Amino acid sequence: MSWVKVAVSQSSEDIFDEDADEIYIAQKEWNSTMKKRSKEGYRDGIEAGKELALQEGFNQGYRQGAELMVTCGQFRGTLNALLSWCHLNGHDSSLSKINHLLDVVGKHEEDVLKYLNSLQEQPHLGDILDFVQDMDLSDTAPAGTDCDATKAGKYEHTGSSGKTCCRNKGKDDSLQSERSKAKFGTNPERLETLAWVKEQTMWLIEQLGLSLDMLHHIQQLGH
Amino acid sequence: MLSGGGVGAHPAGSRGLGFRGAMAAASSGADMFDDIVMAEERFHGEGYREGYAEGSHIGVVEGRRHGSLHGAKIGSEVGCYLGFALTWQCLLHKCTDEKNSKKIKVLDSLIGMIRKFPYEDPTYDKLQEDLEKIRGKFKQVCSILNIQSDFRISTERSSLTF
Repeated sequence: MSWVKVAVSQSSEDIFDEDADEIYIAQKEWNSTMKKRSKEGYRDGIEAGKELALQEGFNQGYRQGAELMVTCGQFRGTLNALLSWCHLNGHDSSLSKINHLLDVVGKHEEDVLKYLNSLQEQPHLGDILDFVQDMDLSDTAPAGTDCDATKAGKYEHTGSSGKTCCRNKGKDDSLQSERSKAKFGTNPERLETLAWVKEQTMWLIEQLGLSLDMLHHIQQLGH
Repeated sequence: MLSGGGVGAHPAGSRGLGFRGAMAAASSGADMFDDIVMAEERFHGEGYREGYAEGSHIGVVEGRRHGSLHGAKIGSEVGCYLGFALTWQCLLHKCTDEKNSKKIKVLDSLIGMIRKFPYEDPTYDKLQEDLEKIRGKFKQVCSILNIQSDFRISTERSSLTF
């Protein structure tokens, strides 16, 4: 190590400066390499994370969409059936009423779609659960269309045997107790739309003198 | 690329220990080289984890958007057929002559198909196949009930065309 001593004693400052430059360059190189590695890792990570989450997200979204929209579909199908029946049996005076109800259901579907889209931006399970609860129309009668005691009684009666309309809704039962939670969205009228359509359809069925079976079927919609 | 369980795990996490074992004792130069490789992997791994979290979020949001629209479409269509069929079943039940019993039979068959159809399960492999069969049966129902095409399910009202 004697050469080091010699070098240091001769011109210590110069040597020190050269070293400093080299260290500085090496440090810079090191930093940029590590930055590059980090960036590469980030890119690889994004791809891997996205690939795995896409399918998962799709499946979650699909279930939500299907479960929320099936009720709207049932209303629309029911009204379409009534429309065709009235047409075939000469009850033409009811056609415009049914068509109006179909328009309301169509608008409601659009609202549900918009809601679904807004939900995807910030997916919180709580919101979804609230919305699913709101779809259950049994005791959320809209203002001005209060269910009377007989109707409520009828509903309870059919409720026990009524598994015809909706499958896969078992989990709704566990949610009933949480019903008092805040309603979704900014417009509370939305969730009352289907309840209103239901009332109107039941009224129409009574006017047409259709069977009790029919009323039961309507009452079960949305459950 | 990743097997289940290790969410966000860096794939290059485990390194050749044999290399280190053989070389480290012999020379400190190899040790330094080892440290450099390790540092590169560490930085790559940190970036990877960060990217993975970000990618997962992007993927879920994007997937949900596509999925919810697709699910809404099929849910609406299937629900519509079911509501239609159940209503007609009620309408026909009050008079049970020979002609009606044939109609009711076709309606029952459609209702049975829909009830067995797991429309809400995106992983069901025959989703499209079963849906086509249900559509076919629905057309048969409309024709046997003598329902003109304008009084069938009106799609123009719905924002979801099927």
